[in-house]
Amino acid sequence: MSEPFILEKSKTSPGIEFDRDKGVFKIGGRSIVEDPNGFYMPIYEWLETYVKAPNPYTEFVFDLEYFNSSSARQVMKVIMLLEEIEKTGNKIKVIWMYEEGDEMSQERGQEIKLVSKLDFEIQEYPSDDEIDF
Amino acid sequence: MTTGTIFNFFNLLKEDGISFAYRGSFSNSVLAMATELIKNNMDEEHSKLRNKLSFLMIESFQNIARYADNDEENQDPTPTSDFFMVRNVGNIFFVISANLIDNDKVPLVRDRLTKVNTLTKKELNEFYREVLTNKQINQKGGAGLGFIEMVRKTEDKLPFDFVKVNEEKSMFFMQIQLRNPNVENPSEDVSIEDAKFIQKNIASEKILMMHKGSFSQDAVGPVLKMVEDNMHNMKLKMQKKIYHFLVEILQNISKHSFVLDGEREGIFLMGMNGGRFEVGTGNYIASSKVDSLKAQLDLVNSMDNEALNHLYRKYLREGRVTETGSAGLGLIDLARETEDKIKYEFTPVTDEYSFFSLTVKF
Repeated sequence: MSEPFILEKSKTSPGIEFDRDKGVFKIGGRSIVEDPNGFYMPIYEWLETYVKAPNPYTEFVFDLEYFNSSSARQVMKVIMLLEEIEKTGNKIKVIWMYEEGDEMSQERGQEIKLVSKLDFEIQEYPSDDEIDF
Repeated sequence: MTTGTIFNFFNLLKEDGISFAYRGSFSNSVLAMATELIKNNMDEEHSKLRNKLSFLMIESFQNIARYADNDEENQDPTPTSDFFMVRNVGNIFFVISANLIDNDKVPLVRDRLTKVNTLTKKELNEFYREVLTNKQINQKGGAGLGFIEMVRKTEDKLPFDFVKVNEEKSMFFMQIQLRNPNVENPSEDVSIEDAKFIQKNIASEKILMMHKGSFSQDAVGPVLKMVEDNMHNMKLKMQKKIYHFLVEILQNISKHSFVLDGEREGIFLMGMNGGRFEVGTGNYIASSKVDSLKAQLDLVNSMDNEALNHLYRKYLREGRVTETGSAGLGLIDLARETEDKIKYEFTPVTDEYSFFSLTVKF
């Protein structure tokens, strides 16, 4: 089976944790990478393999405090890949998390939910006041 | 701020390798970011000046904080708000400060500066020791050592001037000049009058921050950080919105601008006018790209929010691969987040490239 895919987050790129054994699938942090295609390429490659033979239930978490417009398209591409899971007869749910008061992340989530075809839940978590940009 | 303003500033600072100006309230985080910004953007040939320049920036900055007789606190900037600028012209770096001081202090400051400007190196060292051991420490904690240090470090004079504002206050301008002895590129003198002229224009256009230079990702980071650090009293939503704009606009310069002499040069201005933020950018763009960019701008400007949302969502799913690989979402996003239209102008410079300026308000 596929190895976990782990990337630490940086000032400009999100952290990635994909681990099918643990059932953890998460993209979190900030995505303002200048070369989104290059950054997201290995992520798609891992997911392309995964969606062909996924776990019976996949909960995929986005916790993006901020993403630029070129990353928006990449986030959408990830979601469209996840739509493949349904074709295998397995279940997939997207959880979109945003910090309390962060209307922008909330709105971005609602917009992506609108254009996605997945079971998509938007969750608020309490603000820790300090924003670490 | 108009598109014309952007072009004018760009031309005014045309010979500057890098320039950065800031107006408003001063905090240590602004200082930290300003020094980082300048350090990151110094050409290799000037790298030996880095530490000295940082030192001089800190001295100048603290001088503003120490000597400024400014009654306003946390208010919107006024024409006489504290002002700070660093610019590089040829082989000289200039650190410029301007702040209000009480008229009755003007003679003292003038005497001190006139004195340090006339002393020889040896006399300066003697004077330094004299002041060090002198008990006459001024009220604000400085001992007058700052000016001496500036002259010792730069081995150059400190041009200064006072402009009377009213019966109580004057604007005090000072310019520190640091020359790179290893670079043979004798620059024309930049007088304190230039500094006064720039400060006046920046203030009258209600600009809070201006940065002209090469826009790489390295340069964008500190600008974003600085803006963010100065937004703490704002709501998270507004912070996010401003941050979002800046990322899109600055990355646009670093991605799409025309490479001239190996640099992607641009100018970035941020201002506050009538309670609203104004952001302006300017950069060169290949003339061959002008028509398609203009068409895109006109398109998003002609659409209402509903149409923009529709187009955004369509592109989100279907993508729209442009030659640079971006999805074309940036402009749509900019248009739907601003209340007004995006204002832009293309000014032909040569057959090969034009100057592209853009302003948005929010």
